[in-house]
Amino acid sequence: MNPLITKGIRENLRTKHLIAAGLFSLIVCSTFYMTAFLQGSEGKYSVNPETNEWVKEESSPVNGARNAFTFLLALQGFYLMFLGTGRVASITAEERESGLLDYQRMTPMNPFSKIVGYIFGIPAREYYMFLFTLPFLAHAMFVGKLPWGNILHLYAVFFCSVILYHLTAHTVGLVVPKPRAASWVSRIVVLGLYVVLPGLGQAGISFLSFLTILPTYFGKIFPLLSDQGGQNVGRLESKLVDFWQDVPFFDFTISPTTFTFLMQGLLILTLLVTGYRKWRNQALPALSKTSALFIYSIFQFLLLGCLWTFFDKGEASGLIGQELSAHEFSGKQEKILGLILVIGIFFSLSLLFILCLINICCPNRHLYLKGIQRIAKFNLARIPRIADESSGLVLMLILGVITLFTYSVLIKLALHSDAWVLSSSFLSLCLIPAAILILAIIYLQASREQWFNLGFWGFVGLLWITPLLASLVLGVGWGEENVGLILKLLAINPLSIIPMHWMYEHSEIVKLPQEIAQNVNSAIQFGLLIAGIFAILLQTRLYFSRKK
Amino acid sequence: MINVQDLKIHYGEFVAVDNLSFSVKPGTVFGLIGPNGAGKTTTIKAIATLIEPTYGEIMLGETSVLHQPEHARRMLGYMPDFPPVYDDLRVEEFCDLFAHAYGQSVDQRKENVEKALAQTELTSKREELCKSLSRGMKQRALLAKTLVHDPSVMLLDEPGANLDPKARIDMRNLLRKLADEGKTILVSSHVLTELQDLCDEIGIMRNGKMVVSGTIEEITQRKQSSRTLEVELFEISPDLTEFVEQWPTLSELRQTHESKAQFQITHSGDRKEITEILSQMITSGVKITSFTTRKSKVEDLFLEIESGSSEFDQN
Repeated sequence: MNPLITKGIRENLRTKHLIAAGLFSLIVCSTFYMTAFLQGSEGKYSVNPETNEWVKEESSPVNGARNAFTFLLALQGFYLMFLGTGRVASITAEERESGLLDYQRMTPMNPFSKIVGYIFGIPAREYYMFLFTLPFLAHAMFVGKLPWGNILHLYAVFFCSVILYHLTAHTVGLVVPKPRAASWVSRIVVLGLYVVLPGLGQAGISFLSFLTILPTYFGKIFPLLSDQGGQNVGRLESKLVDFWQDVPFFDFTISPTTFTFLMQGLLILTLLVTGYRKWRNQALPALSKTSALFIYSIFQFLLLGCLWTFFDKGEASGLIGQELSAHEFSGKQEKILGLILVIGIFFSLSLLFILCLINICCPNRHLYLKGIQRIAKFNLARIPRIADESSGLVLMLILGVITLFTYSVLIKLALHSDAWVLSSSFLSLCLIPAAILILAIIYLQASREQWFNLGFWGFVGLLWITPLLASLVLGVGWGEENVGLILKLLAINPLSIIPMHWMYEHSEIVKLPQEIAQNVNSAIQFGLLIAGIFAILLQTRLYFSRKK
Repeated sequence: MINVQDLKIHYGEFVAVDNLSFSVKPGTVFGLIGPNGAGKTTTIKAIATLIEPTYGEIMLGETSVLHQPEHARRMLGYMPDFPPVYDDLRVEEFCDLFAHAYGQSVDQRKENVEKALAQTELTSKREELCKSLSRGMKQRALLAKTLVHDPSVMLLDEPGANLDPKARIDMRNLLRKLADEGKTILVSSHVLTELQDLCDEIGIMRNGKMVVSGTIEEITQRKQSSRTLEVELFEISPDLTEFVEQWPTLSELRQTHESKAQFQITHSGDRKEITEILSQMITSGVKITSFTTRKSKVEDLFLEIESGSSEFDQN
């Protein structure tokens, strides 16, 4: 057995733990399960249409077991996904801070074995508590007559999600610069990745929904529990069931389980690459330039696949996505506003991803200096482009070009689609977004390579968030008198320029007054100017500081 | 066995280790001495593959630590300067974990854990949880864990820091024994007297640089700065004062006890000159009952280096 799993079992499953955790799990599980079972199996009251009297139906153990199944699943999720993830994050962070992780780093075990040892060894107690829920699961399956195939399907995705969550927590524990913060950062990342991002799936970017167990639950189990149980399915539940039956991707559809495995597998692969690098050498960036390029390309491919039908046919999946679909709108104005919103989401996600990769893959001064010393040692002309120590400018520009390629494909689709009416040409819709994206990437890369974490994030915060907040205050207080100033402040943030540009290009459709349209145009030019100045200034500064 | 060449380690703008070069012969104990922040721990961590140097080369025999870290790790045993242990593991489980991680079979693990516990005198504590151990005992448990895979190179950062005097002597004897068995040991410490008795060679670091290194005798011999002559007279006499004033390499005559005729004189000349000083002193009528040259200690040198007044530093 893996030594780290043995260690986890020894630490977490001594006799006292076995008794305490076992009893806890048994008591909690039996309470929840029995309550749900009894409540579900009880016959429901209904009005007899002939006698017009309330009649109690016969009690049904099948309904009871099916009702209890969801509670049982939630409890199992609580043990492994909540408690287990928290434990993996905190123990990884604690061991890193105390230096215990260094002992493990020095052993000749393969880094993958170490990762496996940590993500299965640390939550040994939670897995043990999970074991106590299995008799109840067996009861729910037999009494509730739930098909084996669907249950196996669900639990395959359940364990894949558990591994993904634990791996996320472990990797964050290895990556976060300040180990003390790691435990909290892990929880925030897990919450963001698996709760907040899947929410965006409802806005049409369906692949983000498949980071959780929900698609398989709603697609494979929920219809079974509701239909056979004879319960009424609400409108919302019905929509969720419909949403997760198949996933629109380009011009075809994929089953939710396959898509979940695909999405989670990709994320697990990314986390394994990061974990492997960090176990080999703590000083290495979390991702190499090659893996960053690969991961970003897949991200853009998935975005393109999910947004394809929206731009091509005006149809989007998900609760919000359906509301944004072209056929839901009667007027041109609403349609174009829906399109602008989705384009805004596309650019925001892409730019935020690039921002994270800039932070990960662009070398700080220390790493760059290391590269310079090495090329002197090995008599090389320059640092190899794909080395961690080399400047990230080329990589980031390639990421920008990939984003623009996806964007241009989506625009082409929209221009040739009957669902959308656009009053602008392909070139005019592409030029400004291309310029602002490239300029933003250039100045972000330069600022990252000059300053350490605090300086970089401070710069991004001041430049992107402060003007937004200031424009909000001005907008509330003096909105009508200072439209020009407010728009200019907004335009300092590159994410605002793209929707503004689209509004300006379609000012007639969205019925933008002439004066405001002029203000929008000058704000866009101002935003470009600011981005251009920062790009030139910071790149020049970086060039001279490196030359020195 | 350990060969460090032109090692440079930067933490951002801060240079923690600057062009450090030294080597440790197989089967010897090398002591790194230096004030806090001198770069000792950083150097040890770089050799232990835990920090990637900005520049330089570290070799363990024929193995490059930078290019073959996995191979180097099999040869290394590392003990940090504070003893983190797995609190909820028993002492023997703690050692067994590392024996297992180094790929040993069940029988080998049993044998090696037993041996390591016996070497560190922890056999009686084997069943105890690590969290119940005192700091000194934890330090021993760490040493046992370090020994369990029989490394050929041992890196020990402040190994005696938490030990009581007896445990310190035991640790010193054990390390000496391990070195005699052929292990190469690099040890850092602030307890200088401890290193003096333990180490075959020492290196004194300051501000990330090796100020001086070699055997203790070599270093003290190379130290050309002043030494102290201790003289005891039959009775206090002005002749001694006159003699010191006239002799060009003697200075700073100090009476060490008010009631006794005991004096210290600073001598800044060649060591060979001392016999001549003694004979001339007697010839000039100074009634000497005792004459000694105080042996220069590493501690004196260390203090000089720390204050920046050493000749090594100035050269």
